[in-house]
Amino acid sequence: MENILEVKNLCKKYKGFELQNVNITLPKGMIMGFIGENGAGKTTTIKAILDIIKNYTGEIKIFGLDNKKDDKKIKENVGVVLDDMFFPEILTPNDINSIMKDIYKNWDSKLYLKYLTDFSLPRNKAIKTLSKGMRKKLEIATAISHHPQLLILDEPTAGLDPVARNEVIDLFQSFIQNEECSIFLSSHITTDLEHIADYITFINNGKIILSKTREELLEDYGIVKCSKEEFEKIDKKDFVQYKKSKYEYEILIENRKVFSKKYNIDTIDKITLEELMVLMIKGEK
Amino acid sequence: MLGFIKKDLLMIKSNIKIFAILLIIYVVMAFQGQMDLSFLLPFMSVMVMMSTFSYDSYNKWDAYAISLPGGRKNSVKAKYLATIILIIVTTIIITILSFTISYVKTKIIDFENITGTIFGSLFATILLQSFIYPTMYKFGPEKARIWLMAIIFGVAVIGGFIIQYVDFSAIINILNLIEAYWIVVFLIAMILMLYISYKISERIYFKKEI
Repeated sequence: MENILEVKNLCKKYKGFELQNVNITLPKGMIMGFIGENGAGKTTTIKAILDIIKNYTGEIKIFGLDNKKDDKKIKENVGVVLDDMFFPEILTPNDINSIMKDIYKNWDSKLYLKYLTDFSLPRNKAIKTLSKGMRKKLEIATAISHHPQLLILDEPTAGLDPVARNEVIDLFQSFIQNEECSIFLSSHITTDLEHIADYITFINNGKIILSKTREELLEDYGIVKCSKEEFEKIDKKDFVQYKKSKYEYEILIENRKVFSKKYNIDTIDKITLEELMVLMIKGEK
Repeated sequence: MLGFIKKDLLMIKSNIKIFAILLIIYVVMAFQGQMDLSFLLPFMSVMVMMSTFSYDSYNKWDAYAISLPGGRKNSVKAKYLATIILIIVTTIIITILSFTISYVKTKIIDFENITGTIFGSLFATILLQSFIYPTMYKFGPEKARIWLMAIIFGVAVIGGFIIQYVDFSAIINILNLIEAYWIVVFLIAMILMLYISYKISERIYFKKEI
């Protein structure tokens, strides 16, 4: 399968924070959800992919092209939503249309105006007068109106109400109908990713600690809740992490079937991405 | 490139009223002959464009711009070009008005005097832009204002020192020599100032961690 995005050994040092050998592979036609707590390195990784930050090492290829050497060619085909970074807020959606016409070769004014209508966005009001949700919708409309092949989205659903989030997720799903297109998106709203992501990549403290298909994670991984006595009988090799709460132990396991057979447990709950995040970050080994 | 220039020019459209008011003040003062305010509009062009740096910074436009095709290469260039376009447009308006007012008032056009004044204000405006923009890129719009004050103060102190202790006869001789070609000399000086300023800004922008 052809890869649309490849990140190899990406490293970047800041004072007190470091991205360490980040590796990401996104095949064509797929959606990858990029999760991790605040400050884990999601935005830094996205900024490196887009060559916004400086002095990082490693190799980044988009559409098989080098992200630095072929910058312009790549960006003609990439749509971007960045967290809190956009056009100056005194501009209007109509201004953005007029500007983007002369920035992207494939800018589709008709499509952009259609999105404005679909999202009930005013055309002549300054961005600063829009609500946070409306602003996010405008950013998404701007990111997809030049028919990009890859969407790189940093927290695209943050600040949206459930109805708007649903609209946006539908939009992403129809975008991915074209098998040439892919989406790389970071989000805190893990339930969104459970619905749409084909792959989940988990970053913690600047390191990728997990990258699997959604099926592997949501079908194979599981959570076992047990007492202290039961926990002590479990071999350390058989679980990924555990978390001790007041009354019970929560154990993250990699393969529900294997675990259930070995320890003779009838039902093991499937895990949600939120539980996975909490156990991976707060849990112990 | 055109898109980035458009972005900067569209950002200042809400300032058209300020330009209109200044234009009226200029016309009234010119008719009364009390004060020559030819510098007002070109000078205001730089001031208004300076405000776009604050909006850019507040909305983190620079990072977003780099995610667009040609963003890193064209952002600085577009800011300089948009400012120059605005300065040229306002200078043309002021020149036409100055000639018209001169003709209406005296039935003759004082070509030499008007051109001298307008070139003087144009030179001062370009000098201002050439100084301010690199400081804007280096320190950001907030700190740049403080640095600008420091630079103006420093230049005034050093200038005062030079005036007291340096013999200007050689410089005056050179100025006399180029008198006939002063427009050409001024134009070359302005282009040079802008070019050097642009290159410094571009270098700062390329090296900056955004």
